[in-house]
Amino acid sequence: MTNKKQHIRLEDIPKRNIYEVPEGYFDSLPMRVMDRVAAPESAAAAWYTSFWRPLRLAMAPLALLLAFAVVYVLNMQSDSEKHIANLAAVGDKEIVDYLSTYAVLESSDLAEVHSISGQVLPADFLNVSASSAEEELEYARLDTTGL
Amino acid sequence: MEDKELLEKFANPDSRNLAFNQLVRKYQQKVYWHIRKMVIGHDDADDLTQEVFVKVWKNLENFRQDAQLYTWIYRIATNECLSFLSSKKRKFFLPLNDVAAELAEKIDSTPGIDGDEVQLKLQKALLRLPEKQRLVFNMKYYDELKYEEISEILGTSVGALKASYHLAVKKIEEFLKQD
Repeated sequence: MTNKKQHIRLEDIPKRNIYEVPEGYFDSLPMRVMDRVAAPESAAAAWYTSFWRPLRLAMAPLALLLAFAVVYVLNMQSDSEKHIANLAAVGDKEIVDYLSTYAVLESSDLAEVHSISGQVLPADFLNVSASSAEEELEYARLDTTGL
Repeated sequence: MEDKELLEKFANPDSRNLAFNQLVRKYQQKVYWHIRKMVIGHDDADDLTQEVFVKVWKNLENFRQDAQLYTWIYRIATNECLSFLSSKKRKFFLPLNDVAAELAEKIDSTPGIDGDEVQLKLQKALLRLPEKQRLVFNMKYYDELKYEEISEILGTSVGALKASYHLAVKKIEEFLKQD
């Protein structure tokens, strides 16, 4: 028994395409290609959407933060207005008493007093006796001349 | 419609889409079958065909008319095939033989393939060839392109193409002899 090898020549094989495509494939392909090449305009819209979507999500915490900041600033303003109003309610006499008890006079304060010494000031504004004021002025003069 | 007329219409923004649609209709089958014989599966061939025409759309304005339009499109399709096959090898760390085995397996398992035993064997024999030799064989044997046209597509000399085709036929016949 001989084992003969069958010699098949390429030209003996009928030339045919054995592959198949789904029905209507070549009818729909141009449309699908056109959809893809026309996409760049819609790609811009897609970019806008992809940019806007996370921004929209970030809007909620941003709005909360903004609201907090506005409330904080308004609160600060009303606090300082409250302090001014409180201070306005304190009488002159209490302020002068407070200052004479706790405040430390500095040479600059006395210099200011000196600068207005020529002016006629109402006695109740200074609320000091003429002799005390003279003593203070004399002291300021000695202090500024370094004697 | 002649290629020259298609290109003129494509250059005009008002008729660009229409001209391109006609271009796709004219060349879609050649491009698809050229790719399908290389990648075997329909889905891959479909993706690559669309990709080829997207590239044609993007580059058609720069197309120099000293080359023929269809050889230029064939070249794009060929490059897409080769990139696809090498990315497949890179992705799965496969040597050439394993890609061929995978494609041969596809021939047996894909429903859209209909051929007798000899035809299937021929296709499997083709998969044994190096990719560029398979391209040369497909373009000469199935697409019946002239060597000069294949030379323009692949950028290889006519002499080298003739030698490559001759060698491919010998290898195929040798494979067909085996049981």
